[in-house]
Amino acid sequence: MEEVKNNTGQSLGIAALITAIITFVLAVIPCVGLIAIIPGIIAIVLATVGLSQASRNSSPRGVLIAGLIIAIIATMISFSQIFVAGKIAQKADKWPNNIQNIINDVQDNVTKEIEDANVSIKIESNGDKVEINTNASKKDQEKKLEDLERGSTQKQDSIQKHDNIQKHVIVRKKK
Amino acid sequence: MLLYERKNKTEQNMKVRLRNEHYLIINIFFAGVILLVFAYSGFFSPVKDNYPVTCIHEKITGEKCVSCGLSHSFSLIVRGRVDEAYEWNPYGMRIFLFFAAQLIIRVVFSVFYLRYPDTRKQLILVDCIGSGVIFLISFWPFLVNIFSGG
Repeated sequence: MEEVKNNTGQSLGIAALITAIITFVLAVIPCVGLIAIIPGIIAIVLATVGLSQASRNSSPRGVLIAGLIIAIIATMISFSQIFVAGKIAQKADKWPNNIQNIINDVQDNVTKEIEDANVSIKIESNGDKVEINTNASKKDQEKKLEDLERGSTQKQDSIQKHDNIQKHVIVRKKK
Repeated sequence: MLLYERKNKTEQNMKVRLRNEHYLIINIFFAGVILLVFAYSGFFSPVKDNYPVTCIHEKITGEKCVSCGLSHSFSLIVRGRVDEAYEWNPYGMRIFLFFAAQLIIRVVFSVFYLRYPDTRKQLILVDCIGSGVIFLISFWPFLVNIFSGG
């Protein structure tokens, strides 16, 4: 008489084993290791359901147990990726200070560059061109400011003189 | 009519036999998955950089992990640009070879499984141990990265 095999839960076992092996390969790759938790849990569920069915009908359980063990190991590896990411993140705690230093350096560089910058402004309209070139360095600006201050006092003096002359002319005309 | 019934019966027998051959089903499925990996590498271009998978580690920590650039590396290997593949990921070649070896193993072992039914148990054992060893050799840098804590 031919022995009749009871295959209850075997298809679930194959599905669990395949999912578990794929999960294992995925879990080992850090880039997608965390995603592998999902198929890992699916594989565990499939294997557990298959095992319960198989135990009820006393059918073979080799594939199911293999699937369950591989799925559990794969899920554990996948979970361990969280700790690896956590450790990297701990190392990254020093980053904010470094970022602050970099920002400060950039700010210093920019202000230095602005201090020594040569600014040129070009305006074009209807064929007319106007070009203004200025040296925006701090020392030059200070000199210009001093010159302007002197220039304004000289201008005021000249205006006062001009007024005196005009007054003198008016007085003469009256005479 | 008789021939048709016979043909139908043999087809059904084959299907039933295949259903009971778990090893063959697993082999066919894995061969399919590996072919999909190769198709993915061939479909997405390293020049366009249009890969749908992004590194979660890099997103969380901001730092590149050991497996970053693996898709690029695979795509370049498929296109025969091995030197550039090494630049993208130094471990890309050995993992690609793992998948290639697995594809060959699946096909060869399935043929042996059907041709020599007496040696099936030994064949499965050799497959398990051999694939495990190849896996360890290929993924060793990644395993070290996991167990050393990044």
